[in-house]
Amino acid sequence: MLDEYGSKWSYRAKWSYLLAVVFALLAPAFHIIYVSFNEHGFAARIYEFTFSWYRQILADTILVASLEWTFYLAVAVIFTSVPMGLIAAKFYKRSQRKIMFVTLMLAPLFVPADILASALLVYFKNLNGFFESLSDLLGIGLFYGWFELGFLTALIGQIVYTIPYAFVVILITMSRYRDQQTEAARGCGATAWQAFWQVEFPQIRVGVFSSCAFVTILSFNEATRTALLKGGFDTFSNVLVGEVMNIGMSGESYAMAGTLSILSITVIGLILTYTFIKSGRLEREARAKAQPLMSE
Amino acid sequence: MPASPSIWQRLTGENGLQKWGFYVPLIFMVLFFALPVALTLVWSFFERTTFWMEPGFTLFAYESFFTSARAENYLFSMMHSGISVIIAFSLGFPIAVFVRRRVPQVAQHRVILLFILPFMISELVRVFAMRPILGRFGIINNLLMDMRVISEPITSILFSPTAVVIGEVVSFLPFMVFSGFLAMEAVEQYIFDVCDDLGVGRVRTFKDVIVPLAAPGIFAGSVFIFVNGLGVALVPTILGGPGAVNAGLIVNQAIVALDFPLAMATSAIVIFTLVILLYIGHRLFDLTKILQPIS
Repeated sequence: MLDEYGSKWSYRAKWSYLLAVVFALLAPAFHIIYVSFNEHGFAARIYEFTFSWYRQILADTILVASLEWTFYLAVAVIFTSVPMGLIAAKFYKRSQRKIMFVTLMLAPLFVPADILASALLVYFKNLNGFFESLSDLLGIGLFYGWFELGFLTALIGQIVYTIPYAFVVILITMSRYRDQQTEAARGCGATAWQAFWQVEFPQIRVGVFSSCAFVTILSFNEATRTALLKGGFDTFSNVLVGEVMNIGMSGESYAMAGTLSILSITVIGLILTYTFIKSGRLEREARAKAQPLMSE
Repeated sequence: MPASPSIWQRLTGENGLQKWGFYVPLIFMVLFFALPVALTLVWSFFERTTFWMEPGFTLFAYESFFTSARAENYLFSMMHSGISVIIAFSLGFPIAVFVRRRVPQVAQHRVILLFILPFMISELVRVFAMRPILGRFGIINNLLMDMRVISEPITSILFSPTAVVIGEVVSFLPFMVFSGFLAMEAVEQYIFDVCDDLGVGRVRTFKDVIVPLAAPGIFAGSVFIFVNGLGVALVPTILGGPGAVNAGLIVNQAIVALDFPLAMATSAIVIFTLVILLYIGHRLFDLTKILQPIS
């Protein structure tokens, strides 16, 4: 990684700057984690390591219930958002109107959380009213409560939020896949499903699993959309928002924020480590293959 | 002669469900994203009732927005978001340029991936974490006092527009790096080599070559930060003082007050701002260029 033109010191200075920015972005979260293990909490002069704040979380029935809801929601989001992201990526590759489709898929990234959440809230309330009227008109109770605020509406809100990420991650992996391989598989008599599952999927598996991890983290961390669309239950992030707004910087809120940070850092850190190791290995393999050719 | 497929096979076959299955994400996004967002405009003209709203046509919600402090707050939040964009660009874009220009191609994606880590930590945590850093007895004040730069803690950082701008930069900076890098991927390495061979200065290369070529990515990153600065209520709620109000906060307050037409009118204004910005950006820079690397 040598800079051919600039000085060695300028090159080092740029690297230092890059790492300093990454550190500055991560430092607040690490500070939260550090304080969350202090017996005396925030701004104390003394530091005594403890798990007591975390134990307090686990002893709090409301928090444990909110963790359970967060878990259910994350699982449901993974099983809907990731397959949809995968289907969308495949649709994008074969689509003629790529620009319109990709704009629709990525647009939720640009619409702020509170704006989208309020639009969905009013939309669901209207849909619910519509279906109730339909039920009354038909004299059957079948359509009652379909879009009443609850798990389903929170799930839809989270799918809309996470689908662009799942789509992009899978699409990046898919861009390395050559469609001729599918054509070859079909030519050998494989069905569309067999060609996908046995030829294409093994090559995009990393992207699919990475998007699962990203979607899990995003779902765990999401608070704004869920707060408006969840109805009667609370997620972990929602409880944390309430705690921060009502109580402020308590030991428990530090431990809750610490839990979210540790989870994100662990999952994403593992993915990054795996990616680095794998790409390093591929690089070495490619170099080893190229060596005899170059010496010829 | 092969046996003709059964009805079930035809239904679930390649021309049946499998074919239509590809439309599921499209239909989902139209139903639960495009439609609700577009309908905010319609609902913004509805009449307010005690707990809800009813169909009608009134400009009352817009009147209520533009003739109160809300419009002023909206303009101030635009100004703060604009400052955040400038700071994020100044801090983040040089990183994208450096990685693209000076780091070997095989390692570029790995370096950019480093910014995924802070981006994936909950925004709530990142913003919340700024409180103990910016506060009266926070890390910054303690550091400055230990260094004897100040004798008394500065109290005007936290719960002020400055804290909001810092919070927005911390929250959205990685996006500027990502979109900047994505745009820089379209700039071939030989372009830098040509500039170097001609002995063009760094500032001129940056201003006249890099920025115009990477303009779509810079613009997309800037719009993301600007619009989220306008619409994400979390940052001013946690870090801003009583005067720090953005559109997201106005929407939340309107919903709490059961003034749904006002919430929808405010949302419609933000979406209108976003659409106008994206339209201008697309006309000027052709934003589809950012997607070339993943196409």
